[in-house]
Amino acid sequence: MSNLLSLFRNLFDRNREPLQDPQDLEKVFKERYRHFRGLLTANNSALQAMADLEKIYYSGESYRMAAVRSQVTAILVNVFKMIRELRELSGGKYEELEKRFDVISKEIEAVIERKPEPPKGPSILPLSQVSRKVRGLTGEKMANLGESATVPGITIPYGFVLTAAATNYFITHGHLAEMNRRLQILDPEDLEGLYATCDELQKMIIDTPLPADLEELLQLNYANLEKLCGKDCRVALRSSALGEDSTGISFAGLYTTILNVDRDHLAEAYKKVIAGKYGPKAIAYRRRRGFRHEDIEMCVGCLAMVDANVSGVAYSTYPAAAGPTVRIVATQGLGSGVVEGSAQSQTYLVNREEPHLLIEEIAIPTPRLLSEQMLAEIARAALLLENHFEGPQDVEWSFDQKGKLYILQSRPVIIPEEQNELIAPENITKAGEQPTLLNGGVCASGGIACGPVYHIRTEEDMRTFPKGGIMVVEYPLPDWAPLLGRAGAILAEHGSEAGHLATVAREFSLPAIFGLPGLLSTLPEGKEITVNCSERKIFPGCCKTTLAQMKPPRDVMVGSPVQRLVTDALRHITPLNLNDPSALQFKPSYCETVHDITRFCHEKSVTEMFNFGDRFSFNTKMAKRLVAKVPLEWWIVNLADGIREGAVEDQKSIHLDDIISGPMLAVWRGISYSPWQGPPPISARGFGSILLQSTMRPELDPAVGSAMSTKNYFLISKNFCNLSVRLGYHYAMVESYISDFLTESYITFRFKGGAADMRRKAVRVRLLADVLREYDFRVELQADILLARIKRQPREYLEQRLQVLGYLITHSRQIDMVMDRKEAVNRYKEKFIKEIEEMLSTASV
Amino acid sequence: MDAQKKILLVDDEPEYLDLMGKFFQKRGIGFETAGGCLEGLDWLGRDQFDVVVMDVAMPGLDGLQCMLEMKKLQPPPEVIILTGHSSLDHTLRGIKNGAFDYCLKPVDFDHLLEVILLARKKHSESVQPQK
Repeated sequence: MSNLLSLFRNLFDRNREPLQDPQDLEKVFKERYRHFRGLLTANNSALQAMADLEKIYYSGESYRMAAVRSQVTAILVNVFKMIRELRELSGGKYEELEKRFDVISKEIEAVIERKPEPPKGPSILPLSQVSRKVRGLTGEKMANLGESATVPGITIPYGFVLTAAATNYFITHGHLAEMNRRLQILDPEDLEGLYATCDELQKMIIDTPLPADLEELLQLNYANLEKLCGKDCRVALRSSALGEDSTGISFAGLYTTILNVDRDHLAEAYKKVIAGKYGPKAIAYRRRRGFRHEDIEMCVGCLAMVDANVSGVAYSTYPAAAGPTVRIVATQGLGSGVVEGSAQSQTYLVNREEPHLLIEEIAIPTPRLLSEQMLAEIARAALLLENHFEGPQDVEWSFDQKGKLYILQSRPVIIPEEQNELIAPENITKAGEQPTLLNGGVCASGGIACGPVYHIRTEEDMRTFPKGGIMVVEYPLPDWAPLLGRAGAILAEHGSEAGHLATVAREFSLPAIFGLPGLLSTLPEGKEITVNCSERKIFPGCCKTTLAQMKPPRDVMVGSPVQRLVTDALRHITPLNLNDPSALQFKPSYCETVHDITRFCHEKSVTEMFNFGDRFSFNTKMAKRLVAKVPLEWWIVNLADGIREGAVEDQKSIHLDDIISGPMLAVWRGISYSPWQGPPPISARGFGSILLQSTMRPELDPAVGSAMSTKNYFLISKNFCNLSVRLGYHYAMVESYISDFLTESYITFRFKGGAADMRRKAVRVRLLADVLREYDFRVELQADILLARIKRQPREYLEQRLQVLGYLITHSRQIDMVMDRKEAVNRYKEKFIKEIEEMLSTASV
Repeated sequence: MDAQKKILLVDDEPEYLDLMGKFFQKRGIGFETAGGCLEGLDWLGRDQFDVVVMDVAMPGLDGLQCMLEMKKLQPPPEVIILTGHSSLDHTLRGIKNGAFDYCLKPVDFDHLLEVILLARKKHSESVQPQK
């Protein structure tokens, strides 16, 4: 602000160059004013984009790289515009600033465009050579499977892995660029478009022939497999994505597995699994969890088929009433029905100690699929794996027709937060709770939600699914995964917590009850319900006592590549190092972040703009005293077209009626409204404090102050107004540009200082902040400095806000003295808002 | 503002030209469309335009190269670049090389219209002093 004052001094008491032709002067001034305005517009847009980027980053909600990229682009473009305008305004100064900008923007670009290193290594690895060590090449799933085989007592199928190096060789750079292009132009809400695009992308991959050498290598490895498993053996091709399963994130069941593949269909099946990366459910999931498509590389395991008699999943550690158990879910034949949530399954709880006795069977239709001996064998394997991988495991297994147990997958388990299946659902109503509509089932993911029921049966239903709706389905199929980001909760008549959709629901912290028959018939579409999934209860309507138990959702982006990237980018963007314009370090070379540059540009633009008088012989009479029926001196500097054409020329003063600056007149309506009825009684402490400050800081004493400290200046044009006020002890600045273009319309308000000690100043700015927030200002507070802004709003809306500011400028000045009483703060807030409302309603009449 | 001047839309995707064209037609704004840089330059030589809206990613001369050619004309039109999948660098380079502003694809047409009107204003302000 000191610069602002110094420029005013410049305006009035420097030696000047010879007077120029008034018309030339006006033209030069208009040109500079245009740059100044352009700079302010860019400044507002840049700050807005920074705030928006921070908002999405801290929201705890899901965001996409496209949103990040668009904000960062807006920030950099607008900051560059600021620099350009400043350089124009200053006649080419600040070249250094542009260089600093190039350095900083290059750093940000490097962060934003950062790509994972391309994997290096063999294209195909036999499973016998695969372990955790090569997970960077084979993906987590196959690395874990290969590693499992090193545990004595564990058998896995024979097979090999087509590594990330192979994928990279097959899918070229050109493919990736084209696929990313098609995905980025998609509207994120457009499910239909997503499905169509996914089809195109997958077709593109499947239609691309494998490189001949890769094709031959694949056939060669299959031939080797035949030697172990018999001629023409069938294989299963399973996805093993790089980057999945890390940081507690599992892309459960979102990718493709193809069973029973013969030699002739190997290449095609391989390409289909690779293409699975671009399935709609996988894309929706990545977007939601903060993965860019390039963060995931698809590897493919090629495993000899197990001739399965019975298959399923096992949790090595599962909490039950009597302590931890091994939980085993089994189904006839191949295990895919269990994880897809579509098969009739049997569930067993088995003791973790040898001899792994059966503790409980849950809802088992006869005949039983697993003997006690088989259960013990599965439990033993699951515990071996838990021991080896040092944590509870989620294990996929199969018994073949000869009774041999194979392990197909082992990964760290994500246990639902609240497991209470063994406790019967309480039918007893809690205090204040309504009777339930339905209860029971399995808590697939804990949590509470409220919303309208929506039945999902087809893809068509998915497209019309409303945000926040409660999904009700028959089977919890992985195909519903794209909706999880929009749903309030998911309820399924079938399925267990072992399914893929349950895993995904838990990762999204989306409440889910599975295995509750009668949902579709009991809950008609559109009915408002409240679900408490942890307690497995469904209530009619919006049940407040239940909703009151809700816990804040967890941040789904934590640890994701996109979040790490934004964290790094923000380091170059938001920190502010240049705080003090009077400091020696207030120079381009000290700008370390984008925010520093905006701060520097803004400060210097004000100086440059109003150095005008210095450089171009400004007539001292440029500032004219406002003639109006108000106390205090108000001075007008007409920057451009702020005064009515044909106004009576007077060297010293100007009449209010001749002013046509929209923003100024709006502020003025607020300033001149309802004259202040005199200061309230001063409390002795408050007054003492003010006296003390006056003694310590002579410039605050009105009796000592320079001429500047008692004058208030409006710099105006037709659409612009910059008002700096020094009323009593505080400094306030209102700046506004209002045009028919929302993009360039804004109001900013700064308020600082005032007599009284820091604590009281802070109380006062908080009071101002409260009132301003009532009127939709975005307010930032730092100690006793307040910054409030509004932008992109229509004229009438902004003019009303300017009136509010005018009112506050005149009415807040004496409240210091009573601000040591808490109840007084509230009283003033109420009084202010009441009077402002009166003012606004009078004005509109 | 000069009422006779038109807007030139340059994009290699016909569907996009169609979409944008319909939007401007509805609002009674005069425009022409071009499927590439050369066709665009051709139009500029034949008719009066104040604003060009151009996709950056086009086969042949891309939007940034094309803009440099357009800027050699007198008076140069204001150019608004449309950027989609393209890198941050593209957009920033466009602005540095004299683009008035940019819009992201898929385009928010109301926002685009506002940017166009601002560009028109600038064009008329910068042309007038030379008259």
